[in-house]
Amino acid sequence: MSFVPALTNLWAFLLLALVPVGIIVLYFLKLKREPVEVPSTYLWSKTIEDLHVNSLLQRLRRSLLLLLQLLAVLIALIALLRPGYRGESTGQDRTVFLIDNSASMQTVDRNETLSRFEKAKLLILDKIEAMADSDSAMIISFNDRSETVQAFTTDRARLRDSLNRVTITNHSTDILGALKAADGLANPRRSSEIADVNDVQVADAKPADLLIYSDGRFQTVTEFNLGNLRAEYIAMGTSDVENLAITAFSTERNAERPTEVQAFATIENFGNSSVSTTATLSMNGQLLDAEAVQLDAGEQTGLSFEIETEDAATLNLALDHEDDLEIDNIAYTGLSPLRNVSILVITPGNTPLKVGLQTEKTAKICNASFFAPSYLQTEDYKKRAANGTDDLIIYDTCSPAEMPATNTFFIGALPPPTSLKSAGNSNAANPLQAISNDTAVPSLEQAKTQAASGPPTEAGPPAVSSTSDAAPQLAADPNATDGPDMNWRWASPESSVALIDIERSHPLMRYLELFSLLIFSGRGVDGPPGTVDLVGADVGAILAIAPRDGFQDMVLGFEIISRDEEGAPVTNTNWYAERSWPVFLLNVLRYLAGAADATGAPSYRPGETVRVRLENAITSPNVSRIGGASVDVTAGPGGSLEVIETEIPGNYRVEDGSKLADLFAINLFDPQESEIATVKEIDIGYESVTSGDMTVEQRQEFWRWALIAMLGLIAAEWLVYSRRVA
Amino acid sequence: MSTHNDTQLLSPSLLGRLERMELVSRKVFRGRMKGERKSKRKGQSVEFHDFRNYVAGDDLRLIDWNLYARLDQLFLKLFQEEEDLHFYALIDASESMNFGTPTKLHVAKQLAAALGYVGLCRADRVSVQALGPMGRQAPALRGRASLWKMLNYLESVDSGENVSLFEGVKDFSLRNSGTGVAVLISDLMDKEGYESALRMLIGRRMDVFVMHVLSPEEIDPPIRGDRRLIDVEDGDSAEITLNNYALQKYQETVKSFIGSIKQFCAKRSIAYLPVRTETPVELIVTKYLRERGVVR
Repeated sequence: MSFVPALTNLWAFLLLALVPVGIIVLYFLKLKREPVEVPSTYLWSKTIEDLHVNSLLQRLRRSLLLLLQLLAVLIALIALLRPGYRGESTGQDRTVFLIDNSASMQTVDRNETLSRFEKAKLLILDKIEAMADSDSAMIISFNDRSETVQAFTTDRARLRDSLNRVTITNHSTDILGALKAADGLANPRRSSEIADVNDVQVADAKPADLLIYSDGRFQTVTEFNLGNLRAEYIAMGTSDVENLAITAFSTERNAERPTEVQAFATIENFGNSSVSTTATLSMNGQLLDAEAVQLDAGEQTGLSFEIETEDAATLNLALDHEDDLEIDNIAYTGLSPLRNVSILVITPGNTPLKVGLQTEKTAKICNASFFAPSYLQTEDYKKRAANGTDDLIIYDTCSPAEMPATNTFFIGALPPPTSLKSAGNSNAANPLQAISNDTAVPSLEQAKTQAASGPPTEAGPPAVSSTSDAAPQLAADPNATDGPDMNWRWASPESSVALIDIERSHPLMRYLELFSLLIFSGRGVDGPPGTVDLVGADVGAILAIAPRDGFQDMVLGFEIISRDEEGAPVTNTNWYAERSWPVFLLNVLRYLAGAADATGAPSYRPGETVRVRLENAITSPNVSRIGGASVDVTAGPGGSLEVIETEIPGNYRVEDGSKLADLFAINLFDPQESEIATVKEIDIGYESVTSGDMTVEQRQEFWRWALIAMLGLIAAEWLVYSRRVA
Repeated sequence: MSTHNDTQLLSPSLLGRLERMELVSRKVFRGRMKGERKSKRKGQSVEFHDFRNYVAGDDLRLIDWNLYARLDQLFLKLFQEEEDLHFYALIDASESMNFGTPTKLHVAKQLAAALGYVGLCRADRVSVQALGPMGRQAPALRGRASLWKMLNYLESVDSGENVSLFEGVKDFSLRNSGTGVAVLISDLMDKEGYESALRMLIGRRMDVFVMHVLSPEEIDPPIRGDRRLIDVEDGDSAEITLNNYALQKYQETVKSFIGSIKQFCAKRSIAYLPVRTETPVELIVTKYLRERGVVR
């Protein structure tokens, strides 16, 4: 039998000791006596006189009520002293409690009502209750990061409070940090090198019991020596589990058909029995698709869903199956919204293009800057082109000397020949360079001339002729045909154009109806290998797109605005008046400038710091989890945004006002956490720690019985009292 | 108006039984009027008492002519005079008498009425009166027909005459100089004591009877716990924790109180009769009072 006083303060007990004294005093000073009329107090006074003659103690002895009250208080005092029978001593008087609050500890094992984490807390609480006054303990919680919740203390109340503060997380597990924190006092470090014989230990080692409350689902710790720590592993949970988990879920747009989205998921059965259920896919909270899943124990499967959507969307995949761990039964992902793209337009003046890039819809996703062809000569341009600052450069009837490190769109002009570059440092390339400079870039020459002299010259036809001349030359050059010809060429002389065919399946050509177009003058274009003809005409491909070192170049074989002999702009086509013109420009922005991201929104682990890169235009974004609260955040320099509150799995939206700026998802996606079968033995350093007896030795407390007895006494006292008064 | 109260005090059956009873006096007193009792006086009753020589001036009617014929001397034949008895029933009408169920005062009134009626039936001079100021209005009654007067008076007696026993008896003694039978009906709970009052009655050469009325609640109080007892007469209060011990003490006190009265009365030839209010008046009058020789 031992006592663990519930009150540690001596004064509190002194105060309690005054209670019985107070009762006795009150008993004599009972102010509230019920008045009763009697015919005469004559005889009563005689009785009272007689009673007064009796001693005080005699009076007390005969008062059953007082006796019962005092007894009740005495039992209450005993209850406060918490008498109990203690099972066994823990050996050390110092204990370190390591509590695992990672995601897998959320598991509610079969036939249990409490999660592993809650059970671990109760077990620790029992241990704390059983501590002697001189015992000290420390609490460390660990998931992928460790936290010393309470440093060594003998104060049980503080330990209890600290333990209550520990909450479960959705994080993965890494015990090493917690072990290092526990290690600090038990194994003091030496002040210098280990081999130094003059070295003295800086502090006395304080051995301690290390109690690890976990399901053992963490990576084996190798670089750690327990030293003076006597480790004990209390395995939470069982190995007989049932858990179906989504371990991956992502979406991707079809590059060719951007409205088509594919969602991929991996589902794994971590339980011991086969499971058959359905996986339900929802988009923006609405049920979209479902698929049956049947998995034997330990197996995994992949699911794919085809979705049609053009806009940003949030998706979640839920398993309609109740198992031991809930958190991995639902996965989130999103389709990124259109990006805001930066466009550089080099044009001598093209109102239809300018207007087309400034419509309400394009202005939302596009930031266009217009420059005259003379800008091509400036350092600023060269820097921009080399850095790839812009998402797309549109060369209207002009051409740069070198292709920029970004996507391009040439209108009525050809890209400079790039075969020289691809040919490497070959000296033989030099004449080709000269040839191409002279011949293949007529538009640049034309632009230069325009810039210099003002009135346009007959630049078009000679250029065409020279190009058409150059083409056979290049084709005939045996040196140049070593590798694939990477140059663009005019395929036909300038003439009126009649459209024949449109590659409707290409994203750039989506929703376009071009057969009512009138084109006064144009030429077919012939691109490098890999070129896709987007619009075919009687003169050959009039619009074509070709890849270039990870970029894409698109060439339109006719000008939108031509110049007459006096240099005044004249329209070469009625396209700008057609509905298809802004639609085409929008497609260009989406798929050539890359406003529409082909990939899905990224997924991060719970608790990870998510870095989102935003456009500079967004200054005060706010982040919200779908179904959660919105938080205003401030973007850092360069538009980078760090989102810290990512504890809860879900789809997160970064918004600028009402406009969706970015999407990301938080998912567990951790097979180690989803694998919830409890590990029987964990390895720490060179030692392996086997799970101890699951039943933790508990202190048998009697205070509850004492309180019940006290209540019984009070009831008896009340009974006696009411009988007397009635 | 009094019908209800009359029947309350004395039931018709009791009246019938009372008519056959007679008040007993252990002493022979001189009455004032002709009555049905022997008197110290020689008078004109049928009961022979003595002879004496004729003295000039004596009533010739009293001469025993038969003796004169035989002895030729004039003798007067003396007869025992029959006179009335003075019966006083003194009711303590203090507030303390208004206690119990039925109240002690009610029982006292019943007893007084019963004894008074016995007296009235025997042509005694009956005076039933409450101690204190109310007593001054009490009529002296004679004859059966005065029953209603007596009952009316009794009806008018109410509790609240908070005079001490001694004061009340003293007031009575000053007003009534004659001797006779005095029945004091009281609970005797006077903080100044009952002794002086009884002594005064004896001093007046009264044949004193004490009927000590107590309610069962007084003998065995039903109250328990922590109480503040308030005296209904003087408002005096006494705090007490009524546990079994205290009650036992109280009952011992009551017993010794009754014992002391008994002893006091026995020493002074006062007939003492304890009366419990729950006992029916019929039983008290026909049995206990008869046993104690108050009536026959």
